[in-house]
Amino acid sequence: MIAPGQSGECRVRINIDGVLRSVVYGYPCSLHVDPVEKKPLFHFLPGTKILSLATVGCNLHCRNCQNWEISQANPEDSRAFAYPPEKLVEQAKYYQCPSLAYTYTDPIIFYEYTYDTAKLAERRGIRSVLVTAGYINPEPWKRLLGYIDAANIDLKGITDDFYRRVCSGTLKPVQQALVLAKASGILVEVTHLIIPTLNDKPEEIRQLVRWVKANLGGETPLHFSRFFPRYKMRHLPPTSLRTLDMAREIAISEGMEYVYIGNIRSEVGQNTYCPACGALLIERSQYTILKNRLKKGCCPNCGRQIYGVWK
Amino acid sequence: MTRRKFIQKLIKFGAAVIVGTCWLAKKAVPRKFVWAAKLKKYPGSLKPLSDIRKQGKWSG
Repeated sequence: MIAPGQSGECRVRINIDGVLRSVVYGYPCSLHVDPVEKKPLFHFLPGTKILSLATVGCNLHCRNCQNWEISQANPEDSRAFAYPPEKLVEQAKYYQCPSLAYTYTDPIIFYEYTYDTAKLAERRGIRSVLVTAGYINPEPWKRLLGYIDAANIDLKGITDDFYRRVCSGTLKPVQQALVLAKASGILVEVTHLIIPTLNDKPEEIRQLVRWVKANLGGETPLHFSRFFPRYKMRHLPPTSLRTLDMAREIAISEGMEYVYIGNIRSEVGQNTYCPACGALLIERSQYTILKNRLKKGCCPNCGRQIYGVWK
Repeated sequence: MTRRKFIQKLIKFGAAVIVGTCWLAKKAVPRKFVWAAKLKKYPGSLKPLSDIRKQGKWSG
């Protein structure tokens, strides 16, 4: 319960005289046209631009947060633009972005703004993407998913202890959100940030991969992301390429079909290969598509259908 | 009081009890979904929009 005059954990939802108010509705602090690969989404309209926005605030307090300057900011101390949902959709059209991303911090905390924008965007033929930690209750989550086309959801660790110690959250709601998102039929990609000494043990990674495969399916794209020392975790080193490669090998050996390495240059960890014949389907360099050989979402060699939204 | 009036009063009383009990039960169960209303004025400061074509510096 949020007491009168107080805000929630996220800092942006306040109880004013018994009415819950969102102080960031219509006020993004960040708005950019990004490549969709930056989210990261590798199986959703590759090579397209995506209008990406965030407001300040977050319902988690990850000690390693890469965007802590905005996620852990108080709205009173921040600067924002006045940007109602109609204007966002107009801008997406103007900049020829086929989709909008609610990202950088967590769309869960600017839920009403996300919901209204996604609903309007759907009517105007613009798709909506969530980049989220998935720390949300099932009821509002299911309601929001009705207007969402794709999501990249963080699975930050596979133990409740990790979520409590590092993120000030719990694991179960995230797992529930992942399962519900996949069951809703939207495109789901999963990101796991590997932090040296905290969640980089091979057995832990294997456990995480097994959970993803059993609950979301082997076709779910899985991104292992490199950690950089930030916010309250400046004492740890960046994740080595060797660790990321090891994680990728574990995931492939466990039957995951699309496994990627992010935040670092990697020879093979950024490309999409056919899980049936091994043919190179999409070649990437950072956020740029060098080659896309997919034919109507299928492998041109063996015809295998590739999980994703391709048009 | 006629028999008809008595029955009418009884029905009204019964209906009020049912409505009241339902209302109480609804209030007693925590709400699963609370829609936050929009605040008219941003509590921080507003800034002019910069060039949004520039790629975001934030992760994600």
